[in-house]
Amino acid sequence: MVARTVDLRSDTVTKPTETMRAAMATAEVDDDVLGADPTAFRLESEVAKITGKEAGLFVSSGTMGNLISVLVHCDIRGSEVILGDNSHIHIYENGGISTIGGVHPRPVKNNEDGTMDIDSIEVAIRDPRGELVFPTTKLICLENSHANSGGRCLSAEYTDRVGDLAKKNGLKLHIDGARIFNASVALGVPVQRLVQAADSVSVCLSKGLGAPVGSVIVGSKSFITKARRLRKTLGGGMRQVGFICAAAFVALKENVEKLDGDHKKAKELAEGLTQIKGLKVDVAAVETNIIYVDIVEGSKITAEKLYKNLEEHGVLVMPKGLSRMRIVLHHQISSSDVHYTLSCFQQAFTGMHQEIGSYSISTSRDVSYA
Amino acid sequence: MFFNGFLDFSNFLSLFFFNGWSFLETSSTCHGINSQIIWFSTLNSSTMVARTVDLRSDTVTKPTETMRAAMATAEVDDDVLGADPTASRLESEVAKITGKEAGLFVSSGTMGNLISVLVHCDIRGSEAILGDNSHIHIYENGGISTIGGVHPRPVKNNEDGTMDIDSIEVAIRDPRGELVFPTTKLICLENSHAKCLSAEYTGRVGELAKKHGLKLHIDGARIFNASVALGVPVQRLVQAADSVSVCLSKGLGAPVGSVIVGSKSFITKARRLRKTLGGGVRQVGFICAAAFVALKENVEKLDGDHKKAKELAEGLNQIKGLKVDIAAVETNIIYVDIVEGSKITAEKLYKNLEEHGVLVMPKGLSRMRIVLHHQISSSDVHYTLSCFQLSVVCTKKTGATRYQHLGMFHTRNLILKRSHS
Repeated sequence: MVARTVDLRSDTVTKPTETMRAAMATAEVDDDVLGADPTAFRLESEVAKITGKEAGLFVSSGTMGNLISVLVHCDIRGSEVILGDNSHIHIYENGGISTIGGVHPRPVKNNEDGTMDIDSIEVAIRDPRGELVFPTTKLICLENSHANSGGRCLSAEYTDRVGDLAKKNGLKLHIDGARIFNASVALGVPVQRLVQAADSVSVCLSKGLGAPVGSVIVGSKSFITKARRLRKTLGGGMRQVGFICAAAFVALKENVEKLDGDHKKAKELAEGLTQIKGLKVDVAAVETNIIYVDIVEGSKITAEKLYKNLEEHGVLVMPKGLSRMRIVLHHQISSSDVHYTLSCFQQAFTGMHQEIGSYSISTSRDVSYA
Repeated sequence: MFFNGFLDFSNFLSLFFFNGWSFLETSSTCHGINSQIIWFSTLNSSTMVARTVDLRSDTVTKPTETMRAAMATAEVDDDVLGADPTASRLESEVAKITGKEAGLFVSSGTMGNLISVLVHCDIRGSEAILGDNSHIHIYENGGISTIGGVHPRPVKNNEDGTMDIDSIEVAIRDPRGELVFPTTKLICLENSHAKCLSAEYTGRVGELAKKHGLKLHIDGARIFNASVALGVPVQRLVQAADSVSVCLSKGLGAPVGSVIVGSKSFITKARRLRKTLGGGVRQVGFICAAAFVALKENVEKLDGDHKKAKELAEGLNQIKGLKVDIAAVETNIIYVDIVEGSKITAEKLYKNLEEHGVLVMPKGLSRMRIVLHHQISSSDVHYTLSCFQLSVVCTKKTGATRYQHLGMFHTRNLILKRSHS
């Protein structure tokens, strides 16, 4: 049996703390569909305040938060949304904006740092004069921090420029802020400033902030009113939902300050991993709590054997393609876990010649979800 | 008369019931009573209504201490990356109870039905046959169409919740007309639909579905109520169904959620669709723990709810100006009609009831719905009855007062105002 588990697959694996469990057990609740659950209301107001928006709405997941936001903004038949070709909405949300919402995506190339060139975005906006054959661009989506680029942060200035472009063309701006707090801490910029230009934001509580469940979307009062109805339609209208909101509230209060520690550990781990012959990490690209690790071509270890070895030692990572893996730090990964992980990797490389066997890990394909 | 608090008012109520209605029939006395009620209400509206009997729905049930304890200590894990153990346990339990292969926890009955319909109706141009008065058709925002692209084919619901088998059969699209027809894929039943569908009826609909290569989904939001009322195990009731959506958050009293059940392959597809809709929840075991307690502890309380409903229905039917079809009260739901020609106005009645903390759900101009649940006691039932009796008498006699229609959401605002004061 594995003596120790270090789960680096995602920051969604965080387990609730004792404070959260206590808050859940004593939460004040009510029917959030027939009326309003007081704890949900309190959480929604708090997140609205932090982000500088008029109102908030609790939803069960980031996917639902983005889906609702896109669908509310893209409210006419034939809507189109501009988003990054490597964004979470485009890659990991089952194409729901289209299959569920009938919205057409217009992907624009994501740069390595998570941005899209402003010019490329502008070119992608449909000219209304071509409406006979074009859909109607309604929305631009940004993602901050940008997961697939390795948790890279978009600056407030960049976001504002995209916001200006949106306004100039009568479009809305939505920010997938699943890890907006990580970006805020890494950049040293308040969340409110980061999302100032956005009409709506989706904020996850269940990732690095460690809540068991949920996200909150924020926007204007009228946006949230429409969002609430769409949430019901999707089946996200929950009754005494205050329990989960109570835990999310604790996450918000207690765990934002721990994010900096996660970033430091990520940096430390990244630096250690890139020292290992056979591995390569772009340490400069490690801005928050996400590390992408490449297996150098020609190294004598295969990805599958590496994952197997790591798993045998209780270290879990997320394969991302044939020779790439993702590691995500969170507040329940200690410094000791980081050192242990490093030594497991080192041991996997130096001790490889001792390995025998034809065991193969089920997949080294990209099966990540978050 | 002066009242020193609620106890005096209760005493007054008992006195006047004992003495009968006669002394209330004079307008001056009633005006006197009304002014007392207003005084009482005024006293309490500044310090919160002394007693609330929320009969709007069985969704309002608050979690019990056992549930809170179970939630606080639940074993949880990431249910998207892997499987939350408590969620798995709940899903297996509901699958076992319903006699299906597997289960999937979802955040609401609406999501349960939406997913089920969309999984069965998996080709473009699908159509689903369902009751014209069913929850899916009336109260789910038309999601099967607006979200799922599925066309509904509503068939008339009889008063007992069934649809005539012949009517269903006629509604099934003939494949030879496919150039102009959508493709029927599914039949949906709802049990209970205030009234209960028998296992035999369900079986006949199931056979019809099979004969035509269709699936059968049961919206079993209140399937346990039906099971208890009919004295038939849930498994037997849903035997003919390919999928069932079961609510834990209604009469069973859990804070959140439903479980859908079906074959393993159905559930696999359902899980993916649930993720697409945004219902992939991470450490969801907390809610499942409470739902598990609900399943274990509260099924046996449903019979009590049914008895209280019957008792309340009988009492209400005695009130001149109100009419209740007692025979139609099979489970925990009562529909109360204001008799035409009576001088009672619905709005005044609701307002009056609300001032006494009794909340009902208006359903049309002269009809209301009352739902019993395990957190409504016998004493609450008697209190409700007396409030109705009082309100009915006084709304007949007093003059018109300016009033805002008490719809479902207006009641919320009033409750919110009170709870935030």
